Amino acid sequence: MRFVDEFRDPELAEVLGREITALCEPGRHYKIMEVCGGHTHTIYRYGVQDHLPEDIELVHGPGCPVCVIPMGRVDDGIAIAERDGVILTCFGDMMRVPGGRGSFLEANARGADIRMVYSPLDALRIARQNPDRQVVFYAIGFETTAPSTALTVLRAAQEGIENFSVFCNHVTIIPAIKAILDSPDLRLDAFIGPGHVSTVIGCRPYEWIPRDFAMPLVCAGFEPLDLLQSVYMIMKQFSEGRAEVENQYSRVVHYDGNPVALKVLADVFALRPFFEWRGLGSIAHSALQLSPKYAHYDAELRYELPGVRVADPKACQCGEVLKGVLKPWECKVFGTACTPETPIGTCMVSSEGACAAYYNYGQYAKQRLTLEVLK
Amino acid sequence: MNDPGVFVSGASCSAEPGCITCGDIAVVLTVRTLTGSDASCVDEEGREEQVATELVGEVHPGDRVLVHAGVAIERLSAEETGV
Repeated sequence: MRFVDEFRDPELAEVLGREITALCEPGRHYKIMEVCGGHTHTIYRYGVQDHLPEDIELVHGPGCPVCVIPMGRVDDGIAIAERDGVILTCFGDMMRVPGGRGSFLEANARGADIRMVYSPLDALRIARQNPDRQVVFYAIGFETTAPSTALTVLRAAQEGIENFSVFCNHVTIIPAIKAILDSPDLRLDAFIGPGHVSTVIGCRPYEWIPRDFAMPLVCAGFEPLDLLQSVYMIMKQFSEGRAEVENQYSRVVHYDGNPVALKVLADVFALRPFFEWRGLGSIAHSALQLSPKYAHYDAELRYELPGVRVADPKACQCGEVLKGVLKPWECKVFGTACTPETPIGTCMVSSEGACAAYYNYGQYAKQRLTLEVLK
Repeated sequence: MNDPGVFVSGASCSAEPGCITCGDIAVVLTVRTLTGSDASCVDEEGREEQVATELVGEVHPGDRVLVHAGVAIERLSAEETGV
């Protein structure tokens, strides 16, 4: 961002922290969930929690697309990649996600042709360059990423590219929030809404949260001051007895989202009846598949897949971490058997996964805590 | 990996601060030139990236767009970008 320094100003952070503290009701403990993995990363990287009073607890949600991919879907991807003549393409963090038969990286080492891309449009370019091969894009991501896949499918159709298909794992944020609110394990007070997902879907789809659960939700940007300001806006709502959807990230999020992107999504995708989320289980209408109009580009219809459900490793507690019930360091294998180099669970794979973010940056928070105690 | 050509400027998945998809990361870029629906855009350090613009309507050189995975998902007004 052009004015990024302004959003990382430690003095302003101190001021905001004091104003947030002043809004706390004595004796009340506030649990605020940040849904998005990018927010989790910022919170740990910049020590956002350090600027908040002890009575405000930030709880990490399920908004990391890699973290919620079940192991069986990884195995399905490997089965596609191992077919003769296939090039499987995927985003970088997907490469190390463990499936029942290892990761994409390991399958690549065994001889499968799996390539990392920055955009699905790069996968389409590979298809153009390799007309004698079948190129499959392993699509993951929430509503921020789904439009890029949709646009790629539209371009493939316009150009009549036949050797391209999509293995679709796109998920949608609203059903995941519903599943969390329905979970009996967790009591929450408010949400920090995802910033760039909201650029696409807008703020309106969250309105049921304050209406039905009397909980504030503030769509937030990704800089440390964005997050602190969002917490301030939430606390202001509590102090004034309000529960509303508010938009802190108005410099890029419009309340009604991006109507062109939404129209393209509705054209190219249809809702799946069910989709299995790692940690959250099967959630109705929570993921996308290609619509009948573009079924020709659906890799799940083009290839026979194992489609087997694979249980998570017993030691792994990603499910509880994804629901915010456990903190990363409370998992039995955190930092010992499970590390970013050798992840057992998905939350340790992506740098936006709560476990990897804490593993990489949490030590600094502990150091600061120790220094405070020594003072 | 097999095709290093697929990486664009500094925006690979493994770049700081992390995977663009998992982190819900999008960056503000400035449109430099247009070829059909594709725009050649630059970031503040002058790194270039090809961006698909169909989802944000008509864009012109100098416009600033929010880009995720090679696709512009929002066009920013001068007021929004502080220009």
